[in-house]
Amino acid sequence: MAFYETITVMTKSKSKNQSNIIWGFFSTVKLTIVLLIILAIVSILGTLVPQEQGAAEFARRLNPAMLQIFTSLDLFDMYHSIWFRVLIGCLAMNLIICSMDKFPATWKRFIARPEPDRTKPFDNLPPEQSFLVQGTPEETANKVNKLFQSRYKKIREKEVGANRFFYGEKGSYSLFGVYFVHLSVLLILVGSLAGSFFGFDAYVNILEGEQIDTVMLRKAMNPLNLEFTVRCDKFTVDFYENGAPKEYRSDLSFLVKGKEVAKKSLLVNHPVEFMGITFYQASYGSAPGKTVRLKISRNTAEPTVTDMRVEAGKSTALPGGEGKFKVIDVREDIMKMGQAVLISVQPDQGKPVDFWVFKQGKMALKMLPEPMLKSPKFNPSAFNPYTFFLDGLETKFYTGLQVNRDPGVSIVWIGCFLMIAGLFVTFFLSHNRIWVHLLKTDQGMKISAAGTANRNPVGLERELEHLTRDLKGLFGKKG
Amino acid sequence: MLNSIILSYTTFVYFAAFMFYLLAMVMNREILARIGTVASLIGLLAQTVAIILRWVESYTLGVGHAPFSNLYESLVFFAWTIMLLYMIVEWRTKNRTFGTFVTPLAFLAMAYASFSPNISSQIQPLIPALKSNWLISHVITCFFGYAAFALSFGFSLMYLLKRLDNQKRNNIFLQLIPGRSILDDLNYQMIVVGFLMLTLGIITGSVWAHSAWGTYWSWDPKETWSLITWLIYASVIHSRMVRGWKGKRIAILSIIGFACVLFTYFGVNYLAGLHSYAS
Ligand code: HEM
Repeated sequence: MAFYETITVMTKSKSKNQSNIIWGFFSTVKLTIVLLIILAIVSILGTLVPQEQGAAEFARRLNPAMLQIFTSLDLFDMYHSIWFRVLIGCLAMNLIICSMDKFPATWKRFIARPEPDRTKPFDNLPPEQSFLVQGTPEETANKVNKLFQSRYKKIREKEVGANRFFYGEKGSYSLFGVYFVHLSVLLILVGSLAGSFFGFDAYVNILEGEQIDTVMLRKAMNPLNLEFTVRCDKFTVDFYENGAPKEYRSDLSFLVKGKEVAKKSLLVNHPVEFMGITFYQASYGSAPGKTVRLKISRNTAEPTVTDMRVEAGKSTALPGGEGKFKVIDVREDIMKMGQAVLISVQPDQGKPVDFWVFKQGKMALKMLPEPMLKSPKFNPSAFNPYTFFLDGLETKFYTGLQVNRDPGVSIVWIGCFLMIAGLFVTFFLSHNRIWVHLLKTDQGMKISAAGTANRNPVGLERELEHLTRDLKGLFGKKG
Repeated sequence: MLNSIILSYTTFVYFAAFMFYLLAMVMNREILARIGTVASLIGLLAQTVAIILRWVESYTLGVGHAPFSNLYESLVFFAWTIMLLYMIVEWRTKNRTFGTFVTPLAFLAMAYASFSPNISSQIQPLIPALKSNWLISHVITCFFGYAAFALSFGFSLMYLLKRLDNQKRNNIFLQLIPGRSILDDLNYQMIVVGFLMLTLGIITGSVWAHSAWGTYWSWDPKETWSLITWLIYASVIHSRMVRGWKGKRIAILSIIGFACVLFTYFGVNYLAGLHSYAS
């Protein structure tokens, strides 16, 4: 009969003779259950009270006294608060101390070799687990021994009078499954700590064709210098027929000390890594570029109109050669009147003349208040004999990148893998101990098989069924 | 589209299966339960075909993706996993009374998907962030976990009902429910399977979030609720494995756990977050 041994019986000893109160407190699984439930409740709270970015709106609706309580308890960023970390710390202590507390007993069970002639497993043995075969005791024992060698570990054999006993076991490694699960929880915690101490979380927008060497840290809102330069060579976005975005793609070049070292394509869900820093495609947008398209008419006896593409900030000669001009400000939308540029003309002699030029000049004329219209600042013909027209700004895409370094992440993944493996072992494998008893009787050799398991009694029953069938097979009996 | 038509018929087939299972217990007629099994099998088969059709149709529409990407598709998949797991349990235990408690869950999921005015059965194109094999494994593992917890919820209800059974009452319905130790064992097995799947689901979800957003854990409400569910079931497993709790207490804890599963799935829609089903 398979009987179900509980390990707890054997593992009580250590914590009793440990007089240390802290050890005693942290070595109980009662504490584990309490901590797990407290963490669950606290996390529920965290989903009800808006955290971080969402918190400002919520905070405005609280009265001052409540606000005081909420902020002093760090309820708006509770997952990073001291008390939440203390809770996690207690869980980790619990995990470590409990595992240390129980490990010696597990180890003992792992190396133990129970007596082959134990009778307790055979109490209440169902009749189908015993059968008779013909043969001498020696022959029978040899055959059983051979089968045991091929199937079990830590085999022991003993002869007592007309009895012969065999012991063997299977799956003793599964005793450690639960330690792997617990170790994996610790690894995940260590990995996330490592990430928060030695990593960073930043973002940057790069205009197509431009390059950056600093990124903005999210938490501290400080710029951070990278040891290299990233250039966005090209940004593309594809759309479905219904207008929803299908794919974003940034073609990036990485430069170290001005030298191009790598070219990589970045897509959503396909981050790229360079020198330990990972880039993610997070967003995109368009921004006015630095290139401005202007129409410049020269209203003399022979009027001319010139189309020009000029870069903001660069001085360009006037078409008639009376001096130079440059675009000193570019606005995508100014006072809801659309695109506009601020132009500064520097004549060969005299003072510079600055004025705004609107793309929708006529509309601007209607919308501007009277005094402003009079001001030369808003007159596109302020510099005689020229009139400036703005054809448009060449807008450019920028790509929005999430920029991270997280040295803890591989530890977290190792922890996750270990957790799955450990859970699998803990749940589906068990330590089966098997005894076989041979007894010489008048009708022949009587063979009985019995066993114990630390868990999964159904699995043990199946194991015993298979064993009995194969034992019968050895002696030419049909299973 | 053909797939949503088949799926709405499947809803009725599951309802019929539920009715047969229920009547079989009320009237104590085994033959009705057998019809229930046949109906469940037909429903499961039709639903499998419809899901595959939907997958194929999404490719003919030029937006090809696995059919697990919006609330409609996830509800359909949820019902499918419940029925699949249930059929396995019925086949392994040779007992059809579980059907009365499990098929209504699959029916409700299908009915909600097919008849709620807020849920569109259209095949929608995927935004770039959702195009990931990790996301597919995330959805599959999560829903097998949810389905195992749904079955465990059904077994827990049966356990609590069975406690009312006694000689004096002589109620056929209660007598037909299997014995308490069988229910307790099955309940625990489902919790264990569900926990393993939920763990895998959370991990695959983190891997996906890490490749899409650069962070494997961001405490968004859906993530946090899945962690809450995980913590609850972890404490159930410890109470049982280490402290030896059985029966009624585990049944009640399992019902609480399933409430958390439902909140993770639906309730979170009322809290803001990243997850696509939330919008
Ligand atoms: C999350 C943090 C966790 C903590 C703090 C924790 C803590 C503990 C403690 C203190 C014990 C020892 C009980 C005893 O033998 O008296 C224990 C045992 C156990 N834990 Fe955990 N645990 C955690 C997670 C898990 C998880 C996720 C599982 C997976 C199901 C798990 C499975 C087990 C099992 C199966 C045992 C029994 C070990 C045995 O049979 O000897 N634990 N845990």
